[in-house]
Amino acid sequence: MKYAGAALAAAAILAVSGAPVRAEDVITLGASVQLTGSSANIGRYYRDAYNLTLDKINAAGGIKIGGKSYRLALKLLDNQSDVNLSIRQYVQLISSDKVNFLLGPFASNFALSDSSVAEKYQIPMVQGGGASTQIYSRHYRYIFGTLPSADDYYASTVDMFGKLDPKPRTVALVAADDSFDVSVANGTRKLLQAAGMKIAVDETYREGSSDFSSTLAQIKAANVDAILWSGHETEALNFIRQMKSLNANPKDYYGFTVGVPTEDFRKALGKDADYAFGMTSWLPSESLKDRWFGDAAAFAAAYRAKYGYDPDYHAASGAADVETFAIALEKAGALDPKRVRDAIAGISFDSLYAHIKYGENGQIVLPQIVIQIQNGKLVPIYTDKFINKPQYPIPAWDKRG
Amino acid sequence: MALGMALVWGVLNIVNLAHGALIMLGGYVVYYIFVDTGFDPFAALPIAMMAMFAFGYLLQRYLLNLIVRSALLNTLLITFGLDVVITYLAQLLFSADFRTINPGYAGANFGLFGLTVPSVRLAAFVVAIGLAGALWLLLNRLPLGRAIRATSQNLVAARLYGVDPRGLYAITFGIGAALAGAAGGLYGMIANLTPYIGASLTAKSFVIAIIGGLANPFNVILGGIVVGIAESLAALYIGATYSDVISFGLLVLVLVVRPARMVRAA
Repeated sequence: MKYAGAALAAAAILAVSGAPVRAEDVITLGASVQLTGSSANIGRYYRDAYNLTLDKINAAGGIKIGGKSYRLALKLLDNQSDVNLSIRQYVQLISSDKVNFLLGPFASNFALSDSSVAEKYQIPMVQGGGASTQIYSRHYRYIFGTLPSADDYYASTVDMFGKLDPKPRTVALVAADDSFDVSVANGTRKLLQAAGMKIAVDETYREGSSDFSSTLAQIKAANVDAILWSGHETEALNFIRQMKSLNANPKDYYGFTVGVPTEDFRKALGKDADYAFGMTSWLPSESLKDRWFGDAAAFAAAYRAKYGYDPDYHAASGAADVETFAIALEKAGALDPKRVRDAIAGISFDSLYAHIKYGENGQIVLPQIVIQIQNGKLVPIYTDKFINKPQYPIPAWDKRG
Repeated sequence: MALGMALVWGVLNIVNLAHGALIMLGGYVVYYIFVDTGFDPFAALPIAMMAMFAFGYLLQRYLLNLIVRSALLNTLLITFGLDVVITYLAQLLFSADFRTINPGYAGANFGLFGLTVPSVRLAAFVVAIGLAGALWLLLNRLPLGRAIRATSQNLVAARLYGVDPRGLYAITFGIGAALAGAAGGLYGMIANLTPYIGASLTAKSFVIAIIGGLANPFNVILGGIVVGIAESLAALYIGATYSDVISFGLLVLVLVVRPARMVRAA
């Protein structure tokens, strides 16, 4: 017993004295991500992208500041898909874990709250999981984001409507009632009005809802040309399944903010996923050059090889967040949060995700690429011109083979 | 969906907060039978029910019997704990990916007087009615059911007549779990499965069980229909955001207007 106590004490001393030796040459990034709970499905993109990018940067010799090499480390906590817990965890990361800088969580409502912690402690946070304009409208100085503004998610889609034949004129707008989707709906309303289109049905549903039958009944009654839908993956899934089972068909078009680019979504729906339009801010193309990975295609290959599933824009956006810190730290030449913050604000570099340059409010400006699932494959359709031919108009459910 | 909950509640006086988790498990059982063997999901329902019965039986026999008839708070705590454990084990086993049970006819429908009726939902409704009927038969016509009801009404008298309450509780909970299993399979055909669907299903079952009353299985079905219609109408006329407000508001209303139902001691 006595010896065991002594051994424990020795171990404790070792553990304590072991830490500071390494602390000098390690820069720790802290994040709280949804590893369990209802958003775990998307949260894993951030966990995996952060780790992969970190390893890649370390393997390439880490980060050089003032002639000294630093290794990047990640302190990742699981917020269990609970906003309140994630706020506490970010406070913990800063005040007791003493991380140097912050990476973001997934989803706008999380980023909205967690960015306030970053602002309060004046530690820069670069997040790739929240797109709502609310996050950036508060004149915070320490929050930066690599997802384009939720207001403009449907900008390229509405732009494309003008060039389609037949041109959709009446639209049903269906959106969830959380921060991100409210932003999308507000922005889309303006876009549609500017394009001279009529919003025949304008429905907000409760986040997490699984029954759309009454919304679909209204859409059927209004006989609209197009449905623009905004919400979360599982809800999009239920929406499509119920469209089919109620034989609810817009005349020409239906599109979703999320779901369509993720592999899981296509797997779960099978053939019913075909024809669905969606959007992504990223595709794994070789034209996106990157300092560490070579290009986006190589990133996607490395990601798939390591984790067994394809990355989507969430993962690429998360990778860009880590790279932002790597570049900004070298530029700042110091670990001081204030100087790093200024370096991030003035950053401009090419990455596997996009050309990274933050706007005045901290948010990146990126166009959404309109995509469509054609015979189980994801096909890019439109940015400001057609890339591939859309399968349009979408055939009615009861007229498919 | 709420049938199993009402049964367990009425007889065992356990408000089973893990009920939604059991529904989720049942959904996954049907999902794996369907995906791995190509078995028709409706045909897989009885298998899922048997598996869930066994699971429920063991759970009650070796765990929940320890707390049966203890204070309400204890049963709430332990079933809540179970819910958390089952949910996280499910994430480990099944991953957080969402799944759908998607047979060829999942989206089938037919027209009736100008309405579109989704076939699977209708079938699910028929199955639910069938299960309620079977449960009613069991409770009112068979010796086992009489024993279950007797135990819930008067434990001491039932014991005097040779009923082994522990075995009976386990069977009752098993039946509740089996009903949850069937509900899970049907739910997976209509919506989607993730390890996290349980919590909201528990809440909904709770509301329906109270509105329907714990006494008669058909009333529970009726309660389900009432809640469903109220939610749909609310979604149509007030806005889909408020459908939960309506169903829980309905719960409050029922409690205020018909408190006698709640007083029924288990």
